[in-house]
Amino acid sequence: MTTTDIPAPTARPPRPASAPTRRPKREREGAAWVFLSPWVLGATVLTLLPMAVSLYLSFTDYDLFNAPHWVGLRNYTQMFTEDPRYWRSVVTTLTYVVIAVPLQLALALVVALALKTLKRGKGFYRSAFYAPSLLGASMSVALVWRAVFNDGGTVDNLLGTGGWVNRPGWSLVAVALLTVWQFGAPMVIFLAGLQQIPAELYEAAAVDGAGTWRQFLSVTVPMLSPVLFFNLVLQTIQAFQVFTPAFAVSGGKGGPADSTLVYTLYLYDRGFVASHMGYASAMAWVLLLVIGAVTAVLFRTSRSWVFYASEGDR
Amino acid sequence: MPGHRTKGFCASAAALALCAVLAGCGGPGESAGGGKVVLRYTWWGNPDRAARTEQAVALFEKQHPDVQVRTSFSGYDAYKQKLAIQATGGDAPDVMQLDYRQIDQYASGHVLLDLGKVKDDLRTGEIDAGLLATGRVDGTQYAVPQGRGTETVVYDVAAWKASGVPLPKQGWTWSQWADDVRALARRTGRPGATDPGQSEDAFEVWLRGRGKSLYTKDGGLGFTAGDLTRWWTFTDRLRREGAVSPAGQTTQLDGSVENTPLGRGKATADFNWDAPSSGYLALVKGGVALAPMPSGEDGTPGQYFKPSMFLGIGAHTGHRKEAAELIDFLLNDGHAAKILGATRGIPVNETVRNRTASQLKDFDKTVADFQTSLEGTLKNPPQAPPSGDNALQTTFQRDYDQVSYERMSPREAAQNYVTEAKAELRS
Repeated sequence: MTTTDIPAPTARPPRPASAPTRRPKREREGAAWVFLSPWVLGATVLTLLPMAVSLYLSFTDYDLFNAPHWVGLRNYTQMFTEDPRYWRSVVTTLTYVVIAVPLQLALALVVALALKTLKRGKGFYRSAFYAPSLLGASMSVALVWRAVFNDGGTVDNLLGTGGWVNRPGWSLVAVALLTVWQFGAPMVIFLAGLQQIPAELYEAAAVDGAGTWRQFLSVTVPMLSPVLFFNLVLQTIQAFQVFTPAFAVSGGKGGPADSTLVYTLYLYDRGFVASHMGYASAMAWVLLLVIGAVTAVLFRTSRSWVFYASEGDR
Repeated sequence: MPGHRTKGFCASAAALALCAVLAGCGGPGESAGGGKVVLRYTWWGNPDRAARTEQAVALFEKQHPDVQVRTSFSGYDAYKQKLAIQATGGDAPDVMQLDYRQIDQYASGHVLLDLGKVKDDLRTGEIDAGLLATGRVDGTQYAVPQGRGTETVVYDVAAWKASGVPLPKQGWTWSQWADDVRALARRTGRPGATDPGQSEDAFEVWLRGRGKSLYTKDGGLGFTAGDLTRWWTFTDRLRREGAVSPAGQTTQLDGSVENTPLGRGKATADFNWDAPSSGYLALVKGGVALAPMPSGEDGTPGQYFKPSMFLGIGAHTGHRKEAAELIDFLLNDGHAAKILGATRGIPVNETVRNRTASQLKDFDKTVADFQTSLEGTLKNPPQAPPSGDNALQTTFQRDYDQVSYERMSPREAAQNYVTEAKAELRS
């Protein structure tokens, strides 16, 4: 480490508090707070406070209309021991995560690889594939999706499936496809990652006689693993919180036969349909803890498969 | 318990207020650029009702040049959810259409204005006292009934006639109904009716036909798991025979006529309330007719006259006078009544009803005649359902989904429902 010629603050000779040289720093700090204030205000008012209120509510019985009253851990015990529909929503969500995340990442990677080798029109295709991520979050596309997969809809006419959204075995697949289709964000990140891989590595591999598949496995995958990991964590967290597609495709009910009743949809149902805000808050906190735990596990396993370029120096 | 409010609550209230300032989102009582008073009026219904409501509102605006009414509507399910969220955020509309099931919860939750405060602008003198009382909670009038409705078997007249099955007539029983839908399915090749198993309303009619009720006087459950098992076994058997709509069709019901099997041309008949059945006219080519609901095997009628819907004023409105005037106009004005017809049930204002009765035409006349034909044959309506019913209506559909998709036996699903209902009504 090299030393700089700026002395560390402690090395400064003590000055009187009113010394003119200190004022600019304080002013700078003040200015910083002024510029930060919208964010600080936003974070406090729109995130921290509501979180605190929600934590408090999770220990109460609150029906939206009357003041909440304290019930201790009852919401939590009820959730785990007396509510079969809660567990059904947990299983549905896990199934969804297992279907949607790998599919979406695989598709994003394949498209990113294809775009990387593209010589012309890269910008066009990149936007074209990214567009669904912008549109897909909108309710209108979700409603179109419902129509397409309904009985008498396009998919029914083409495949004669009798529609997917009204069949418990297939409705979750229709919901997952709506998310998978929005692979734009991970694709762009993959693309950025792919462009970081030095061309020499491929040249060296080619010289050693590695074919395309071998190059992919031995060069692309390890070099891309940090990006893959990043996408995996992000998409998993998002998948656990899936709401809009399930809400729109099932008309807000999580049907048919609770087959698309994902966690957040059931949470919404408890809170806003059944007016059990305390219970819904408790569900939200459990979700937060579970997502935290899953992320921690992913980080733990990443040690064995994520390869950082700097480690190569060791 | 106002004393129980916590710091967290004040803080969240402050947060909400701040959010409103920051985001510039207009709360109730906003004003338009031209200095006009803007009233928000929301309701649920079908496109037919929408067209007529817009006309009536336009007339009101003409008579009150300083008021602008912003209307919005959706299907019942979506409306119910949206209103709950608005009410929670203290952002309830100035004038809102309410269901019998919502009155208790919204009134006790301080969402609704005590209409006694606006009685100079909102006349209720010509409404039948008994009917008016249905909008009262603990002696305070929170909402005014807007019409009188009753359930009906609405059917595709042309298809039913063509099938050769005798048309439904007054006093038919549930087993006769079942025989008819079976015969219809056999002869037309499509289900005779929507599977009524998912409908809490249809179940209530069946239950009342057996001398029972959904809720007891003190707001408890008025039936047993055995009763519900019997009902679901009955409907489930018809579904398996193909006499009523298959699960994939039934599950798409969302309160709008467009998504019913009858509206989609996949069944001959449906259960609905009488006034909204006008929506089928645009969907069923051969036209629709109304028949009474089937009664119990011993002839006990299950259906009843219900206040079809109510109008209430948001407790926090900044324009209570104008809001009251709008309601008064919709209920008591002769021109408004003429435009609205029977789209929300038969008018509640006696004078208006008598005057318009002879002028009603088309489907409005059908509804009026249907109600007249039932006059004097029905039993008294049940009292307003307890607030937990709001959630139970949805639970009922979901539990029946498990039956119609053959994931649970009628008995299992019924036991689940009863357990959940008891918990819901206790809390």
